[in-house]
Amino acid sequence: MSAWILAGILVPFLGGLLVLVIPRWWVKTASQFVALFSAGCSVYVFIAFTAAGKQVQFFDVMRLGNVTLFGLVVDRLSVLIGMAVSVVGFLIVVYSTGYLSAQNREHAEKKIERRYYSFLLLFIGSMAGVVYASTMLGLLVFFELTGVCSWGLIGYYDNEKARRAALKAIITTQVASLGLYAATAYFFAESGSLRLVDMVGLTETAKTVIFIGVLIAGFGKSAQLPFHFWLPDAMVAPTPISAYLHAASMVKVGVYIFARCLSSAGSVPQVIGVVGSVMALLTMLYGFAMYFPQKDFKKLLAYSTITQLAYIFLALSISVFGSQVAFNGGVTHIFNHAFAKSLFFLVAGALSYTTGTRLLPSLRGVIVRMPVIGTSFAVAALAVTGVPPFNCFFSKFSIFAGGFEAAQEHPLLLVLVIIAMVESIGSFAWIFWTFSATGLGTPSEEVAAATPLSPAMEYVLITLAVLTLLSGVFASAWIA
Amino acid sequence: MYAQSLSWLLLAPFLLSLAAFAMRWAGKRSIWLAELIHLVSITAVLLLSMHVVQGVLAQGSISALNDWLHVDALAAVFVTIVGVVGFLVGVYALGYIRHDLSSGVLQPQQVTLFYGLLNLFLFTMLLVVVSNNIIMMWVAVEATTLGSAFLVGIYGQRASLEAAWKYVIICTVGVAFGLYGTILVYSDAVHFMKEPGMAILWTQIVENAQALDPTILKLAFVFVMIGFGTKAGIFPMHAWLPDAHSEAPSPVSALLSGVLLKCALFVVIRFAIILSRGIGAEFPHLILLIFGALSVTVSTLFMFVQRDLKRLLAYSSVENIGLIVLALGVGGPLGVLAGLMHAVNHSLVKSLMFLTSGNILMKYHTRDLGKIHGMLQAAPLTSLLLLAGGLALAGSPPFNIFISKFSIFSAGMQSGHIWLMLVCLAFLAVAFAALLRVISSSLFGQAPDEMAAGEVQPLTLAPIAVLLVLAITLGLYLPPQIALLLNQAAGIALPPGSVASAPGALLNWLVLP
Repeated sequence: MSAWILAGILVPFLGGLLVLVIPRWWVKTASQFVALFSAGCSVYVFIAFTAAGKQVQFFDVMRLGNVTLFGLVVDRLSVLIGMAVSVVGFLIVVYSTGYLSAQNREHAEKKIERRYYSFLLLFIGSMAGVVYASTMLGLLVFFELTGVCSWGLIGYYDNEKARRAALKAIITTQVASLGLYAATAYFFAESGSLRLVDMVGLTETAKTVIFIGVLIAGFGKSAQLPFHFWLPDAMVAPTPISAYLHAASMVKVGVYIFARCLSSAGSVPQVIGVVGSVMALLTMLYGFAMYFPQKDFKKLLAYSTITQLAYIFLALSISVFGSQVAFNGGVTHIFNHAFAKSLFFLVAGALSYTTGTRLLPSLRGVIVRMPVIGTSFAVAALAVTGVPPFNCFFSKFSIFAGGFEAAQEHPLLLVLVIIAMVESIGSFAWIFWTFSATGLGTPSEEVAAATPLSPAMEYVLITLAVLTLLSGVFASAWIA
Repeated sequence: MYAQSLSWLLLAPFLLSLAAFAMRWAGKRSIWLAELIHLVSITAVLLLSMHVVQGVLAQGSISALNDWLHVDALAAVFVTIVGVVGFLVGVYALGYIRHDLSSGVLQPQQVTLFYGLLNLFLFTMLLVVVSNNIIMMWVAVEATTLGSAFLVGIYGQRASLEAAWKYVIICTVGVAFGLYGTILVYSDAVHFMKEPGMAILWTQIVENAQALDPTILKLAFVFVMIGFGTKAGIFPMHAWLPDAHSEAPSPVSALLSGVLLKCALFVVIRFAIILSRGIGAEFPHLILLIFGALSVTVSTLFMFVQRDLKRLLAYSSVENIGLIVLALGVGGPLGVLAGLMHAVNHSLVKSLMFLTSGNILMKYHTRDLGKIHGMLQAAPLTSLLLLAGGLALAGSPPFNIFISKFSIFSAGMQSGHIWLMLVCLAFLAVAFAALLRVISSSLFGQAPDEMAAGEVQPLTLAPIAVLLVLAITLGLYLPPQIALLLNQAAGIALPPGSVASAPGALLNWLVLP
């Protein structure tokens, strides 16, 4: 199995270098095959892992003396998230081949840019690396690699605004990553090991130091307060990139490393739970307040992502108080939100591709004029706000159930959970109102003049909509 | 056999540099002949240095000329740096100087002068790292100043002459302090040595270090630190470095930054070893930590405000030398190993960056970062090298500097300097931001309108690409020979008996399926 995981990490890296040298007209095809291969690897690992009775396995890949530098871990967390990021990655590559073309009305692309596919494939590989890494050093290396790739992708359009946003994104996450850097060095100094499972034997103080570092890095990458400001600016990226980086993968790195460390550390000091949940709640409220002034579709989605990630942080922090239900809820929310929010972003991309705008006030009557986009829009809106039977309902439900469970021993948590529920209802109302304003009604001028969607993009939308509908039940049943 | 190689390692570049000087009078073919001599010389240095290193791996150490020359594993690390980086930079210089010649910046006589001086410079640096005689070590460091100062000023421009002048003055004054330190150690050792002539040999002094006077040793180390620290570019004695590095022709900048600074640092390490054997490691560690931390913190801030590409790289050298000094100050097996590894890694990456800056200079005719834009269109291959090299220098994985930086910080945390490490880490983020801003603004944007796409001198790309491959390789895999060498070198720099506990004592990278 380890060979397939390694292939899933390394083949995109090789592919990323390959697209720099092969003839330009092969770039799109080659990229799709590489991404498909990586997705296939993770699906295979998923099937093999399930068939083997979900036994946790470790593989050492690189060792220096008796210190494991890099290794792979196969458990419920890595297998589930690994599948989500690589499958969405493949769909994004397919969507990009349609989106980055001369037919795009917002940003027509005249030639095929190697740079784009190269960075995207490198990103897919780095993401698989983060997910399967069993050592702290592995997390750190791939954490930083995702940062570098995101810089190349956010700044892709190469104008002043894009460059600034890209620099802002990488410098912010880099400053935050010092937390992980210091945590890794400290962990190594304390335990003489880099394997995450060796965290179990550390003292409470050492664990607190390490988790604070991990949380700082996680807050940076997952755009939580006080590092949230890079994400809305990063919306200048091409929309498929926003869908992948800012919904499915990059922003999930932060919550993922937190989840990974939680699941390896055994008992975790409760102060980490307190810090995590309080910051999550603050971020949630901030993100919710920022919904209202947004005119740009993608900016609205960015703030929605910030709040959804705060939910995951809340769930994981609650699990510190001893609720496995909340932990599972958080992990499945990473999985579900990856599909739902990517779909949402891709809908925004499809709208700007066909109509040339993504400003909410000029969009109306999408569902009448463009049924596929309109239906996907409805599915995404319902899913992200947590309406049954769409996927995020199931994970949110587990989060709240876990919260109530933990609240029996820690009554103060009840307040947090109730505030989060109120936020959930509020965001449902607002996003649904946005949908009815733009999706329904008679088509506006821009929507009426829309050009047809490219087939690749259409298939991806339909696939993701189906996955969004099904993934919730699937993930909740699988992880339990 | 190895001793002969060691003698030839010094003789070859020296004699060939004289030959290159003589080519001035060779008439029409002078340039062609000088290039040939230069190529022979750098190839000889590369091969002979590899042979010497092989000898060190085989028999522990090599001595020659009545023990005046002595190469142990520690020196072998630096011999490797001089040999490999010297060769690659030398190859690059061929293309670069041809371009300077064809664009009229250099005259034909100056070209023969350049190759002569360059090889003389290589000779003096080799002399620093292989000499066992501490006075000769000082002489060699002084000689590197003389050899390279003319190279810094070779363009004869006002700014380059000023930089060369500043370089000579600051470094000779600085290194004079080094002489005081050296003489203090010698005069103290002369008292108790059976044979007074032995007191001048480093190997003898180290063996009898216990008998040296502690106060004199401390005093001597402070002098050595200030003196040779000046040459190594340690803050606050670094003032000559940004000017000299930025005004020199790019291959010379690469040698100054990649190799010369390490050679001066090597002398400091030699004296630190005498101290740690004589009076224990606490005092040298304290001094090294203070200077290292100061260099890292101040230089990163300077980096952030630079608008000149090569000056920025020069300050980055101060930062990285500071990191090496910091690692040596942290001490312990991991710290010393990480410091030496960082010395090797920084040599490769910094010379890569200076050579790339040379290519940019050929293309854009400016070092002003406000004017270098759109490299992706203008010079795609160079821009790729700048991107990779800049990320490597910033310490991003999978490049080699990431590994050594991380090891330095791990060592620091292990030895209990947690807050110091956190502060330095925060400053490294500033350096990261500065470098990334450079990459971003040069790669993207609009190239000047009149500029045609393409590389100016395709010949110059190959050595840079080799450096990049080396940087990536060392980031992913440490070849057993290098690992062994670094390990033995760390063993020399550490108090006896502490090597076995080094975490890298068995540096084998296992790849399991």
